[in-house]
Amino acid sequence: MSRGSSQRFDDDVVMGKAYDGRLLRRMAPFVAPYGRRLGLAIALLIGAALSEIIPPLLVQRAIDGPIQSGELNGLWGIFALYAGALLTTFTLRYSHSYLINSIGQSVMMDLRIYLFRHIQQLSLSFHDRNPVGRLLTRITNDVDALNEFLTSGMLLILADLVTLIGIILVMFLLNWRLALISLAIMPILALIVTIYQRVMRATYRLIRQRLAMINAYLNEQISGVLVTQLFGREAPSQDYFANMSADYLQANMRSVLYFAIFMPTVQLMAAIATAALLWGGGVGVLGGWASLGMLIAFVQYTQRAFEPIRNLAERYTILQAAMASAERIVGVIDTQAEIRDPDEPVTLPTPVRGTIELRDVVFGYDPHEPVLKGITLTIPAGQAVAIVGATGAGKSSLVGLLARFYDPQEGVITLDGIDIRHLRQRDLRRHIASVPQDPICFSGTIATNIRLHSTEIGDAQMRKAAETVNAATFIERLPGGYGYEVRERGANLSLGQRQLLAFARALAFNPEVLLILDEATSSVDTATEALIQEALARMLRGRTSIVIAHRLSTIRHVDRIVVLDKGRVVEDGSHDELLARQGFYSRLYRLQFAAQQVEG
Amino acid sequence: MANLRHLLPYMARYRLSLLIGLCCAIIGATVSTLSPYVLRLAVDELSTGTILLSSLTRYGGLLLIIALADGLFKFFQRMLIIGTSYAVENDLRRALFARYMQLDQSFFSQNHTGDLMARATNDLSAIRQLLGPGINGSATALFTFSAAALLMLFVNVPLALIVLLLMPLTTLIFILVGNRMRRTFTKVQDQFGTLSTRVQENFSGIRTIKAYAQEEAELAVFAADNAHYRTLSMRYMVLSGALWPLMTLGLGIVAALVLLVGGRLVVAGQLTIGQLAQFNAYLVMLSFPMIMLGWVVSLVQQAAASMDRLLEVLTRKPAITNPEVAIPLPHPRGEITLEGVGVRYTSERSDDRLSPRPAWMLHDISFHVPAGSSLALVGATGAGKTTLVNLLARVRDPDAGRVLIDGIDVRQLDLANLRRAISYVPQETFLFSRSLRENVAFGVDQADHAAIAHATTVSCLANDLDQFPDGIEAMVGERGLTLSGGQKQRVAIARAVLRNPAILVLDDALSSVDTHTSAQILTQLHELLRGRTSIIIAQRAATVRDADQIIVLHDGQIAEHGTHNELLQLGGHYTAMCRRELLEAELTD
Repeated sequence: MSRGSSQRFDDDVVMGKAYDGRLLRRMAPFVAPYGRRLGLAIALLIGAALSEIIPPLLVQRAIDGPIQSGELNGLWGIFALYAGALLTTFTLRYSHSYLINSIGQSVMMDLRIYLFRHIQQLSLSFHDRNPVGRLLTRITNDVDALNEFLTSGMLLILADLVTLIGIILVMFLLNWRLALISLAIMPILALIVTIYQRVMRATYRLIRQRLAMINAYLNEQISGVLVTQLFGREAPSQDYFANMSADYLQANMRSVLYFAIFMPTVQLMAAIATAALLWGGGVGVLGGWASLGMLIAFVQYTQRAFEPIRNLAERYTILQAAMASAERIVGVIDTQAEIRDPDEPVTLPTPVRGTIELRDVVFGYDPHEPVLKGITLTIPAGQAVAIVGATGAGKSSLVGLLARFYDPQEGVITLDGIDIRHLRQRDLRRHIASVPQDPICFSGTIATNIRLHSTEIGDAQMRKAAETVNAATFIERLPGGYGYEVRERGANLSLGQRQLLAFARALAFNPEVLLILDEATSSVDTATEALIQEALARMLRGRTSIVIAHRLSTIRHVDRIVVLDKGRVVEDGSHDELLARQGFYSRLYRLQFAAQQVEG
Repeated sequence: MANLRHLLPYMARYRLSLLIGLCCAIIGATVSTLSPYVLRLAVDELSTGTILLSSLTRYGGLLLIIALADGLFKFFQRMLIIGTSYAVENDLRRALFARYMQLDQSFFSQNHTGDLMARATNDLSAIRQLLGPGINGSATALFTFSAAALLMLFVNVPLALIVLLLMPLTTLIFILVGNRMRRTFTKVQDQFGTLSTRVQENFSGIRTIKAYAQEEAELAVFAADNAHYRTLSMRYMVLSGALWPLMTLGLGIVAALVLLVGGRLVVAGQLTIGQLAQFNAYLVMLSFPMIMLGWVVSLVQQAAASMDRLLEVLTRKPAITNPEVAIPLPHPRGEITLEGVGVRYTSERSDDRLSPRPAWMLHDISFHVPAGSSLALVGATGAGKTTLVNLLARVRDPDAGRVLIDGIDVRQLDLANLRRAISYVPQETFLFSRSLRENVAFGVDQADHAAIAHATTVSCLANDLDQFPDGIEAMVGERGLTLSGGQKQRVAIARAVLRNPAILVLDDALSSVDTHTSAQILTQLHELLRGRTSIIIAQRAATVRDADQIIVLHDGQIAEHGTHNELLQLGGHYTAMCRRELLEAELTD
């Protein structure tokens, strides 16, 4: 798996607010089903934080009690309490960790499935606008960031707070003067942490940016290494890379410097606190208002109080990342599908015959710039129609409308007399299948590539489809036949094989209406081309089909040709009729198709 | 783990920094163990009630001085050791990149780009983690432990033994749990990969999914993947959730035991309260280093695994290298000769193991292209046409026979000279995300305005430039222009032309260019090809008929060889190809 390609889209991590109530409320419904378990998890965590405060107190009791008075028996009791506190902490911490993570995993799973379902049903116009990598980031990294927020952001801040308040309380209860002495250093520590965090944030951003540049360059250079080698540009590439790497090194060195200053400074603060306690406590012992045990317990408490403050920076970053992710996720969730199922869907009369009618259809991806400017067309059931026209005439838009990937701005499209907007999308597409221009393959077996994950298509039906489109021959020659593992994007199949597979898929679903975007590819050799042609002819037979024809030979198989120009139907008839008319088609034919005789 | 020794030469460059860094670590660790000793003195004087305010102040001051000295040494230790780790990482990254630039196509076809990227990022970072935090942390841990151990043994042997024997147990727990965690985590990550791939494929193929109304079926598969991921993750959480609580528990038990045993010793008069406080302070001081040591063990394992993957690249010998005694080719004429050339399939599939060596893809290919003449190659997809022309610039070497340029075996020629003599326009154009100008001028050191203008005219790229906001300065790629297939090919042609090569290879180079433009390019190229050797690969007879000689490849061999007219008279593959194309044309009339 290559995660490299998705990383590029992570640059848009903009650090902003660490808390946004609006976003949290939007995310709350995903956590709500686990509310009671979450409550339990919080209770366990608070319990753990409290039980962790006990040991230094026991040290104080032991020293001031049994040890100084020489009563050995009392020591056992304290030891037992000590061990009890440790075991309690362990149990509470562990069960909290397990519980909160199981909640986190469940929430993540729900959210991922919700997002997947939502993105999947969004219209193609959305998918056209958003690169796959970005959508992938929403479902993977952004959901992860929210999980972090739940499992280690929000709750641990709470736990830190409980620990801190607990320690302060215990210290004041034990000895308020010593408490004041040891707390005096805390504001300074908090200040140092805040400054450090601010400086580091800028540095980390720089490091991330430079790493992203290295990754992008590396990716490009590896993909294009042959070009670099053939053109003898290895040395300049290496120099360029060395510069990038040096920049990255420099940014990292800056972070090392800051950290190398930060750590000893914090240590020094701890030493100051200890020294102050020693001095103040000493005075207290001499003055009779403090005990030795207290002094030792306070040294330990002070060190423990440092930790939540030191954690602050890290937790803050988690919160920020989570808010940024939540913002992006909410953005996706709030995107409404432009194509929606009707509230009261109509069912098609059975059997579906496949009569298509377009009435005054106007459509543009941008409503102000219509691509189709009033198309009226009736295609009787069983007829094969080729749509031809120059690039930009609106041919592919027409197919997009028929499969209802997009809705027209004006006009009506009907299937067997029913407006396709009144049908459920899945009902419509069960009867109208479109074969996309680029033969898509998925990783999986040949079989799953033909029937996708549909459970309705049996082996026999699948094989029959493959045989009809001439795909069976090559499939059976593959090791494993229909079980042959197809790699991502069909990398281990040739273009011609992928094309035949796409045809087999279309036939396996046995639709009444077929929409085919037929791309002439000169990279397919003549023999395979012949196979594809034959397959195409068989698919069109006796089925309502609309073919966007780029191949000369495709036009031979159709009953009728519709010529589009600038979004309008300009000619309509059989090949011979249209040629005889000496109009647009005959010109287009000479320019576009006759050229294939020479050029290929 | 032995492979980590390969890091030594890289570290040797920074040995002085490392040495000083380690010295700082020793001094810093020793100094830091003194502060519990100061604490003990103060507590003891306090407990006997003999202390003066002035000595309290003195002890406080001593603690501060110790912390300052410790901090200073830690600062230099960190700067030197962690700094070196970044420097070594930088050197390794450059070495890796340099090796990528040298390696041959068989290497790149065996390894995915994502995987090669991971080596330059994740694997390098794993090694840096060991060299930086790993060395830094274990130095601090070992030296602090040793110094504290000495001081503790000096104070009280039985109590010291409790601490010294039990504390490493926490390290052991960390190692054991950590190992199992890592094994589980690999599975979690693999499943995450499956999940990501599923999402990526589904959204890339959304048109197909929607076209067949398979959204629900896809969702079901995705949900099942997710459920499996959750199960694996929870298996991981059982371990990882236990790790820190276990550490705290282990360290806590040692502390409790010290309190119990130490308290009894105090009561028995064998230990002072100050010494007990000193022990307590060491416990706090040592707990992080002990965990650190456990972590280092996993760092070593990870780094060793990563080093394996780096060495795979760094020690891989490029199949194509410049010969030791290279014959220069400063003024190539462009004469090409192939003598009995054979190329075997690269065996990737395991079922090929039955035969000792993979079958021939190209077999017994011989021909001669005089300087300045043209050769056309035709044949079915997968016939090996591209492989054949790739032999010229040594993208790979033949398994049999010889390829000669100007009468010299290409394997004896200076590689840079050889490649300078040939320009390819490949089937698929690769553009770099830089300006169009840089892409066109990619193959030359410097290009003046006139030369670039000429190249863009010949390739008909000049026609497109007006459409771009910045003309030839327009940026290409993700953050810039998206070019059509035809535009890309025109850039590739311009790039090849600008090099003014002796030999020009057009590998199905006009496939994405529309008919009108391709005619225009062909006319322009005719001018350019005069006096240059050219090899043209095409799928259709019409494109190749004017070539001085035509070769038809079939079943890995030269099936037919001659001019257009000669081949037509043979009545073989070429004739069939022409006839098929004619027939196609006639049928539609």
